Amino acid sequence: MTSGSVSHLGYTHGCLAYDDPAALRSLAVEQVSAGLAAGEQVWVICPQDRGTVTGWLASVPGVDAARRRDALRLLPVGEAYRHDEVVDPERQVRAYVRATTEALTAGHTGLRVVAEATDLVRTTAQRDAFARYEHRIDHWMRHRPMSAVCAYDRSRLGDAAIAELACMHPQTNAEVLFRLHAGDGDAVVALAGELDPSNHRGFAAALERADPRPVAGRLVFDAAELRFVDHRSLLHLRDHARRHGAVAVLRTPSRAPARLVDLLGLAEVRVEVVR
Amino acid sequence: MRSGAASGHVGYFHEAFVYGSDEELLAVTLPFLLDGIAAGEPTAVNLDERNAELVRRALPTGAEVTFLPVSDVYTRPSVALRSYRELLASYVAAGAAQIRMVGELPPVLLGATWDWWARYESAINHAYDDFPLWGICAYDRRGTPAHVLADVARTHPLVARPDGGHEAAGLYTEPTSYLTEFRPAPADPVQRTTPLVELVDPTPASARAAVHAADRGLLPPDGLDGLVIAVSEVVSNALRHGEPPVCLRLWRAPDRIVVTVHDRGTGPKDPYAGLLPAGDGSDGGLGLWISHQSCDHVTHHRDAGGFTIRLTAGNPHFPV
Repeated sequence: MTSGSVSHLGYTHGCLAYDDPAALRSLAVEQVSAGLAAGEQVWVICPQDRGTVTGWLASVPGVDAARRRDALRLLPVGEAYRHDEVVDPERQVRAYVRATTEALTAGHTGLRVVAEATDLVRTTAQRDAFARYEHRIDHWMRHRPMSAVCAYDRSRLGDAAIAELACMHPQTNAEVLFRLHAGDGDAVVALAGELDPSNHRGFAAALERADPRPVAGRLVFDAAELRFVDHRSLLHLRDHARRHGAVAVLRTPSRAPARLVDLLGLAEVRVEVVR
Repeated sequence: MRSGAASGHVGYFHEAFVYGSDEELLAVTLPFLLDGIAAGEPTAVNLDERNAELVRRALPTGAEVTFLPVSDVYTRPSVALRSYRELLASYVAAGAAQIRMVGELPPVLLGATWDWWARYESAINHAYDDFPLWGICAYDRRGTPAHVLADVARTHPLVARPDGGHEAAGLYTEPTSYLTEFRPAPADPVQRTTPLVELVDPTPASARAAVHAADRGLLPPDGLDGLVIAVSEVVSNALRHGEPPVCLRLWRAPDRIVVTVHDRGTGPKDPYAGLLPAGDGSDGGLGLWISHQSCDHVTHHRDAGGFTIRLTAGNPHFPV
């Protein structure tokens, strides 16, 4: 979980693409250790049975006590998600909103989730719904004391499917050239990385799934971490803004996008150059 | 109703005028401008400082002639095309029956970068034909190389004579033919040295990274951004429309960065590629147009081995 930047303390929504199951085990140990140390309630959701996961976590200090006082829950995938079905993004977000509130009420400092979600994203329809869910829950995590790392088995999904999901996370180890996630302040979405001819269709899909809505006629995109954007992706922003009768505002330290916007005469895209 | 020699003509009345003295220049341009003013037509001059001053002094005081800033318009052909089309459209929107313009490319553009201005001179027969424009392109015989005059003769359908006559040009070649001919541009001397970077089948991202790494503060920020965008587009086009392998080479000279991208294909089919925007942005047509707007020189080179596009950011005017 190294690539990408965390904009404020505690906001973590990572995506781990793994080939070796040992990486999933390491992730669980790391997250459970960190979560318990921080006083959070930790959920480990994976296809493995409780006995296996208990074995993984044997080295974590205080793990048995944590389970007894409900600071640690080990959940087979089917108990947290509707296994093998197309996820309902709104319903799933509501469940985590409730879980976060309950964790706080029970005296924990927050909710931390490790979720192996490969079985939920095997088909195109599942991935489409799940990517929409990923972005909605990302907004919740951006502002509330919940964090999550989603793990996906690359050997079963392949790079293209992983990329569709990984790009919806602020942090990932997957080889994705761009990321789209929840923004801060009046920025409804933040963009990071590079948007170019190789990934503009993926960006269009991500944008459609995130479906950011304008506030007072403005759709503000925080592009502080966006190193490159080409005209194709600016056209996607324009199209999205146009669909919502709004103006897309791209907030970026670079002067290059403004030149492209001028050149193409994109009336619905405004570039604000910020330092 | 159009006045003068272009009376009854529809679209662009595109004349070449090759002159040999100040007197010849004035003998054609003064009546051209004054007749335009008399007819109430928008009348503009785009000459370098010296010749602009010559014409200005010869005009009656208060003559309604617009003097365009030559360095702004003639920076890059695709930029000139875009700004002229906007200017012409504004005149037409204001009710002009005809627009008269006399222009001359600065001498520096007749050297290492002439190839793309020759393409410009040909392409505007199509690109300005939407407008009732009478344009005279002046070339000074004393400073214009013979091969440039040969291109001028083939890209202008009409010729203005120093005695005031106007006639059809015998060598004129339609842009759709002229622009698809093989027209080698002079090799940049830096291309005879070992490239700083050589990449085979690079991704657009790795090509962009190579440009950033090579720059090390050489180019102004806008120049670097422009080259990065162009390299990204050109590599993407070659990967998508060309024949592999795609080979990128980059040279760094004290005053410029030169990048070539080669593939084994035949290059873009559109004769106006790069000079006019093509398509809606989903294919390569806009990318090539943007590249021509954002670099200081772009050449297209075709030979038996394939297609090479060369991008220069910085000073492209090496001695020819």
